[in-house]
Amino acid sequence: MKIYWKGFEELREANDKATGNEFPHELPIVLNKQSKGSSRRDFLKTFGFTIAGATIAASCERPITKAIPFLIKPEEIIPGKSNYYASTFFDGELHQSILVKVRDGRPIKIEGNDLAPMSNGGTNGIVQGSVLELYDNNRYRGPLSHGEEVSWEDLDKKISEQMAGADGKIVLLSGGIISPTTNNSIKEFLSAYDNSEHIVYDPVSHNSIREANHQVFGLNSIPEYRFDKAEVILSFGADFLGTWISPTEFSFQYIQNRKPTEDNPAMSRHIQIESGMSMTGSNADQRITIKPSREKAILANLLAFLINESELDSFTGKLPESPIDIKVLAEELLNHKNKSLVICGSNDTESQMMVNGINYLLGSYGNTINFDRSLHSCQGVDSSIENLVKEMNEGKVSGIIFYNSNPAYDYSDRDAFLKGFQNLDFSISLSYTTDETSKLCQFVCPDHHFLESWNDAEPKDGLFSLCQPAIRNIFNTRQAQESLLTWTGKDVAFDDYLKKFWEENIYPLSGSDMDFRAFWNKYLHDGILEIPASSKLKPSIGSGQLLEILGSLALEKEGETELILYTPVSVGTGKHANNPWLQENPDPVSKVVWDNYAAVSPKYADENGLNTGDVIKINGKYEIPVLLQPGQMYGTISVALGYGREEGGKASIGTGRNFYPLVRTEKGQRKYFSTVEFEKTGKTYDLASTQMHHSMEGRALIRETNLDEYKKDPAAGNEIHEEIELRLDSLYEKHEFAGHHWGLSVDLSSCTGCNACVVACNAENNVPVVGKEQVKLGREMHWIRIDRYYSGDPESPEVLRQPVMCQHCDNAPCENVCPVAATTRSSEGVNQMIYNRCVGTRYCNNNCPYKVRRFNWFDFNKADSIPKNTVDPFDLTLDLPRMVLNPDVTVRAKGVMEKCTFCLQRVQEKKLNAKLEDRVLEDGEIKTACQQVCPTQALTFGDLNDENSDLSKHVRNPRNYHLLEEIHTLPSVSYLTKIRNKSGEA
Amino acid sequence: MEASSGNYIRTFFSILIAFFLPMQLFSSTHSLPVYLQQDTHASDTISHENTSHEGNTNTEGDHHENLKLGSRLFFGLTGSSDSPVNCASCHNTKALDTLNWNPSAVEIAFSAAGLDSAAYANMLLFPVGKRLSEAHAGIELTAQEILLIRQYLAELGPKGLVAQKPDIRRMMLFLFLVILFLLATTDMIFFKSLKYKVVSVIVIMLSFGWGTKMVVQEAIALGRSKNYAPVQPIKFSHVIHAGENQIDCQYCHHTAEQSKSAGIPSMNVCLNCHTLVRDATRSGKFEINKIHAAVDSEKPVEWIRVHRLPDFVFFSHAQHVGAGKLDCAECHGPVKEMHVLEQYTDLSMGWCLDCHRSRKVDFLENEYYSMNFTELHRQISIGEIDSVLVEQIGGTDCMTCHY
Repeated sequence: MKIYWKGFEELREANDKATGNEFPHELPIVLNKQSKGSSRRDFLKTFGFTIAGATIAASCERPITKAIPFLIKPEEIIPGKSNYYASTFFDGELHQSILVKVRDGRPIKIEGNDLAPMSNGGTNGIVQGSVLELYDNNRYRGPLSHGEEVSWEDLDKKISEQMAGADGKIVLLSGGIISPTTNNSIKEFLSAYDNSEHIVYDPVSHNSIREANHQVFGLNSIPEYRFDKAEVILSFGADFLGTWISPTEFSFQYIQNRKPTEDNPAMSRHIQIESGMSMTGSNADQRITIKPSREKAILANLLAFLINESELDSFTGKLPESPIDIKVLAEELLNHKNKSLVICGSNDTESQMMVNGINYLLGSYGNTINFDRSLHSCQGVDSSIENLVKEMNEGKVSGIIFYNSNPAYDYSDRDAFLKGFQNLDFSISLSYTTDETSKLCQFVCPDHHFLESWNDAEPKDGLFSLCQPAIRNIFNTRQAQESLLTWTGKDVAFDDYLKKFWEENIYPLSGSDMDFRAFWNKYLHDGILEIPASSKLKPSIGSGQLLEILGSLALEKEGETELILYTPVSVGTGKHANNPWLQENPDPVSKVVWDNYAAVSPKYADENGLNTGDVIKINGKYEIPVLLQPGQMYGTISVALGYGREEGGKASIGTGRNFYPLVRTEKGQRKYFSTVEFEKTGKTYDLASTQMHHSMEGRALIRETNLDEYKKDPAAGNEIHEEIELRLDSLYEKHEFAGHHWGLSVDLSSCTGCNACVVACNAENNVPVVGKEQVKLGREMHWIRIDRYYSGDPESPEVLRQPVMCQHCDNAPCENVCPVAATTRSSEGVNQMIYNRCVGTRYCNNNCPYKVRRFNWFDFNKADSIPKNTVDPFDLTLDLPRMVLNPDVTVRAKGVMEKCTFCLQRVQEKKLNAKLEDRVLEDGEIKTACQQVCPTQALTFGDLNDENSDLSKHVRNPRNYHLLEEIHTLPSVSYLTKIRNKSGEA
Repeated sequence: MEASSGNYIRTFFSILIAFFLPMQLFSSTHSLPVYLQQDTHASDTISHENTSHEGNTNTEGDHHENLKLGSRLFFGLTGSSDSPVNCASCHNTKALDTLNWNPSAVEIAFSAAGLDSAAYANMLLFPVGKRLSEAHAGIELTAQEILLIRQYLAELGPKGLVAQKPDIRRMMLFLFLVILFLLATTDMIFFKSLKYKVVSVIVIMLSFGWGTKMVVQEAIALGRSKNYAPVQPIKFSHVIHAGENQIDCQYCHHTAEQSKSAGIPSMNVCLNCHTLVRDATRSGKFEINKIHAAVDSEKPVEWIRVHRLPDFVFFSHAQHVGAGKLDCAECHGPVKEMHVLEQYTDLSMGWCLDCHRSRKVDFLENEYYSMNFTELHRQISIGEIDSVLVEQIGGTDCMTCHY
């Protein structure tokens, strides 16, 4: 049988186990100094004091609470009921159409918009977490001039004077902008000042794709990729499920082709060629590791092979040697002509041009790639920021307006930028929260948070998405566009401006037969407007051009050790680094939280005498702890960007290290890999990881099979299930559930491990953030976790993932051991956890075979009135961040156990709605938070008593099994076996 | 050794304190009127400048004397009139549990703070409104006397109404029992002055038993507030609205059928009637004017919340009123008879469960129950049962209220 191991350490210590050392890992338990020598006397003192204190507290008269009604109640607001407003998330990189759940005036949760064709109701972790950023304590409270509070009028006057007197350039340096109305307001601003310029700057650039398309096809755009139409997907280092361009959209598309059924056992095949273990790579059917400098050689050979095969032409020139055999790859792609898709994550125009050539020869254009609806994000041109910094140093720039950009943190040549900054006459930041750049700026004109803003977005040609405020601005902020318009001399509210722009530009485009008022109301309500794609662009490329690309290749030199800089899935490029929910969301692959690290392959680490936690120094300057990462290419180091912020708040400052300085620029393009040297420092550093805490001790918990096996037998890999079912006899009576019997099914084939469910669960269920030190002690509070297992060779392992939440067992081991009956089973099959009854013995936790129960070691949410109990490393218990708490879920205090409830608040709400409307509860009406957020629809919640429910269909599927079903806990959660497509039968 | 014995003594004392402190409980101050003490920060709106701008050059001593005189006038202890009626007989200076329809002395001080002397005198001697002019008819006060009264009220305003003394009879009884118990015990063990031990034993048993019973009763009542009836910022009477005028509960509390919260009517709901109804039979214009003042100043009325469940309980009015079709009075009691609204039931979990165990659900009528519940449907069809209790559909599950 295959050996599954959950981390490299576990495999290494298999020998220890054999020699009887069962628990090689000692928990880093720090003895409390105060508790040293604590005695009966201390106990009595505390006891006496506590009783006295409690009595005083209890003897107080009832505290007065007020009930303040509306003065004039708006018609649509009902106290105690949530409203949903369609809006749009866009942070400069990632776009998503969303619904904002607003309860009693406060946005508390974000859901995907079902109408959105790009995300289909899914969202990702960063979007889920953005609601917490609205209540960030580090937001600017109002406009600042040289660090002093000023009024908007005074500030506008000062800024207008400065801009009018500017003798050099005025530059608006912004992050990505996909809003047509914002672009229009910027255009107006630019036309008001002759010497002004707008530069778009993306900290992580994908500009080479635009550049390549421009050079090859004359189209400066990023096309629409259709992973759902591809039968073979070949990705060169593009983490398209995690961070690449539009990951939520791609995840949804990707999985459409990867849900084989008995009727239609078809499945796409995914080959990933990469250096570090990315989330996408961990999902691939076949994963090939290379050094990043070798990527071009493979692409060139592949392209040459395809040219020669196509009989259009033949390439006879000399080619660099490919580190892998491309013939098999090429043949597989050719077998699926018109149905294959090749993508590349490198920011290198030549690579992207070769990818274009390969895709062209494979007939992808018009099939799996098309330009009819090209994407509008990633417009940043790498050379423009280089030029800007140069001009700043030459003194040609008078002032810069920073709008959603933070080059003082994420620009690679920071020293040059800071030096040039000294030459500026004025600097204005529009940032809504404190960051490195805004701290430097003379004037801070804080923008609204996007949940307070009016805006629109055109993520793709002809696809519009509106953004409306879900709360009135909390602080004295002003929308950035309004600031720009004010400095243009236009005194206009941005909502009027937006409406006018739509009336004049987009309404005529839409060809709608409604009048504008109705049109506006409809699309503001829906959030989405789709205008039919106009032309059928089919780009073409001559064979001569292809030969030319191959002929003029500039190859990278292979380095001894190569460093790869990547965007982490949990935290992103650094904009959201001050979000504790995201920082505590484990990395999908390594499960490390609150840090970045140097991922090194086990073999390479062994040879260099490295181990996890050893600190190395890269290029003599940048220190970083090592993590042994199975599947990392030998001779490479992967480090995540987006960490090591110096300003921004408690969660971001000093968390990880900033590696943007190691981004290099070559021929005007930013490159995210380089040859480096490293040395051991002798220091060690503790990384906090959720990885080793929940080991299931090597039992076969994940059942997997390959597609060819599945075709022969749908129960392949799950043979043991039937056998176990036969043996499940009990002396006790079978449980009967009169009404509903709630259950959840998880399709392991669909889960990509993106962890969006973890953040969604945090937001929905008031799950606290505990911080790095507590995670090290194994005290993370997440109600859902995604276990990640490796199997096979540590240098190129296979990765499996399994979301685990409370299994809601019918024979729940936790229930039997609770001395106060605080956890019991309900008549609807839910394992209930009653916080107000729990006394915190933690017996249930010890007896739970799935380790899904979480204990509140401290009062992380300030739920009780004893101040000493509160542990709050990130100020989340202040009044402002507490506004995000869901009023429908109890906020737990110190000393109680908690765990997944199946989102009972949602179950109860939907049940009540059905009763009030005098109808049956429909299948699929109740969606748990994890299910609702899932971009790949891997989770299905429903009623096991309803034979026609989707859930029941899953349970009848031969792939269905339960976790540890042999111990007869009868869980309500079930899993569908994972199916891979290793053999290449698409 | 010295230090540690000191520690023992301290520990003993803390336990002793822990033992005696519960007696605080027995002062039964649950329904202490509260709201008027809240607003006293607004003292700068009624300052001495307002009251003494008529050119009086009062010294500190005179001022004190004036206040005394004003207070005597207010309570009818001095003055030219020999009428038995005085200001204090209608306008109370103490917080009361019973409803007094007239504005209290403090409320007058605040509402009249901005008036000049002539308007103030006019208001006092020739008030608008039929009832008020009848009540104030025959008041004979000189301008100087009115000024004195005003000074007294201005002084009283920021202090707020005098709280009632808590009832300490129960506590005295408890202390008596404790002393009795201690006396009997020490006598039985050390002094042995009583001839028959059995007397001591009986006294010990009785005092201990009764004392324990009191402790248990008070402990159970902890955190519950049955009969809680705070004084509200507006003397709103459910007797007049729901009783005499027969306004349906859900006319004002109109979200009861749809939402968790029944909803406290917003000011615009009040104004539906009170744009026309400006003069009340009992309270005159004074209370209704507060609604208009709230709308004009854009500051909603801050009611004192009466019914409050702990944070870990999720109660839904929609479930009970909308789906369960309960009458409001079943939980809230005879609200139609309450001038001052009070909490009718103790809202304890036992009280909830009693009802969930005995009440029938709308099983056959509501379409929701048509799916699933096969066993119950079978039992009904064969006549084994004729109705379904809340308990039978999971109404006593923890998850019904706690999540």
